[in-house]
Amino acid sequence: MLDSIKPKGRVIFLYLLAPVLIYMFTVFVPLVAALYFSFFEWKGGPHMKFNGVANYVELLKDGTFWQAFGHNAYLIVACIIGQIGIAFVFVLIINSRLVKLKNIHRVFVFFPSTIAAVSIGFIWTMIYDQRRGILNHIIANVTHKSIKDLPIWLNNPKTVMLLVAIPLIWQYIGYYMVILFSAISSVDPEIFEVAELDGATAIQRAIHITFPLIRDTLLVCVTLCIAGNMKAFDSIYTLTSGGPGNASNVMALYGYNVSFKQSNMGYGSAISIGIFVLSLGVILISQLLTAKKSEKKERIEDEI
Amino acid sequence: MKSKNTPTHSTRNAPVDKNSPAGEVSPKYELSKEDKERIARDRVLSVVLNAAMWLFTITCFFPMIWMFYSSLKSKMEFNKDVISLPAAPSFSNYITILTEPQYNVVRPMLNSLRTTVASLVLIVAFSFILGYMISRIGFKGNRALYYALLVGMLIPIHSLLVPIYVVFKHFNLNDKWFTLLFPYVSFGLPMGVFLVDSFMKGIPTAMEEAAAMGGSSFHRTLFTVILPICRPILVTTAIIQTFVCWNEFSFALVLLQDPALQTVPLAMTQFTGQFSSDYPRIMAGMLITMLPVVIFYFGFSKQIIEGMVAGAVKG
Repeated sequence: MLDSIKPKGRVIFLYLLAPVLIYMFTVFVPLVAALYFSFFEWKGGPHMKFNGVANYVELLKDGTFWQAFGHNAYLIVACIIGQIGIAFVFVLIINSRLVKLKNIHRVFVFFPSTIAAVSIGFIWTMIYDQRRGILNHIIANVTHKSIKDLPIWLNNPKTVMLLVAIPLIWQYIGYYMVILFSAISSVDPEIFEVAELDGATAIQRAIHITFPLIRDTLLVCVTLCIAGNMKAFDSIYTLTSGGPGNASNVMALYGYNVSFKQSNMGYGSAISIGIFVLSLGVILISQLLTAKKSEKKERIEDEI
Repeated sequence: MKSKNTPTHSTRNAPVDKNSPAGEVSPKYELSKEDKERIARDRVLSVVLNAAMWLFTITCFFPMIWMFYSSLKSKMEFNKDVISLPAAPSFSNYITILTEPQYNVVRPMLNSLRTTVASLVLIVAFSFILGYMISRIGFKGNRALYYALLVGMLIPIHSLLVPIYVVFKHFNLNDKWFTLLFPYVSFGLPMGVFLVDSFMKGIPTAMEEAAAMGGSSFHRTLFTVILPICRPILVTTAIIQTFVCWNEFSFALVLLQDPALQTVPLAMTQFTGQFSSDYPRIMAGMLITMLPVVIFYFGFSKQIIEGMVAGAVKG
């Protein structure tokens, strides 16, 4: 750009001042503060006692925290398979010439992703409810069992993670469907037609044509999935509050409970730093893995 | 898992036609036996695929319909049969919730509206200014700002839940009507800035140069030339953030204790806790608070879907 148009430094400064101050105050000040408080024993009151890295030592040995991290990881895997996998299959179906009313499907399947996770949590609480839930109502009608003998779904620590993952998966299938659908729509339809004429079956087309063509979009979806599930909080808060026991606890919820329910702010700050490091770590690792894979694939494509 | 099996299974049964070209009916008047078979198979497949698709689509909006007609029942009637239609539909749940002051529903909606609108205005304005500056002006600290925003985009926001509470409490910023604007604006900003930044890359600098030659000042060019060009990307930003702000729960939970300031998601958790035995009443309350979003969504679904997808893929 011409140098003569460039505004004076003072003008730039004034434009940037408000947004940058608000941003720094909300993002970086708390981050530094958390780092600072994480070295103290502090129950939220006026007394703070420096205790070095004791909080971090405790964090490393804290089974509940690592269990919660495991649950985050579980949700990531479940949602990558469930959301992106199912969305991919549905997109193939919706994209075939046999399915009508594509736009109506698009509008309605996207709808749940615009609803507050809190509301989704309640809707599914009411579905899972033992005596007044739809699920047990249907089971009772089919099996002719009394509703009293049917399970209290969210009380079983063995299955609770799966039951908590289902609403999350269900809510966002439509979201990923629409993303993948727009990626497929931007591919030249002749490619699919030619493949079909050449006798490629639907499955062959899906694996050898559709999949590689929208690989980049799929990777974006995986990244969104990982970032989204590292911060799972709202729907689990409303569905189970992390229970029974800690069977469906996730990191953010654990940090919240330690800090506010047990008002252990010092340790809560250490957990916050732990969440920060682990989440960034997981995102970076996933980026490195996918970047490497794309490079490899590109090389193969180049050779061909 | 059930829903996954149906579609995979049906695609596996897709016509495996190696000899005749699929997709086109042969121009001859008489169809060969093979063609007839293929058409019949296509018809079956079409029914299966459409059915699978509808099954899923229905699950996406059936809960809303179930909640609506159930909210017209009494608690007794609902507990007897959770799925039947109401024998004598009545809006009494809605009337009670909207008229009796003990139900904290209308006020949270106004709070959410205020918070959302104010956040949107600030996010859009700041995204535009920062995005333009980062993209076009080589000021000192440009890259530093870029990376600072990138950190904000990657940062897991829940790691800031506790620290923001501590810092805000220290500065006495908790429990104010503007409290939530800080996190909502700050966490909405990076995506908006990057959308504007990448959008500006497609706009030739000749725009500004021509305006400057014509004697337009920097401010005037910024707001009368650049701003209208950026309108589509700013609308996208606003659409995405509307849902983020209206639905946000965790920061509202931590930063607001005053019931008079509660936003919708926060008020709903209290509401459902308070009346947990009365499902129809909870449903009525939830539907009232969802109504603005539902109307907004179905009124502008095309723009909303496009905007959300653009934001997700480019951001």
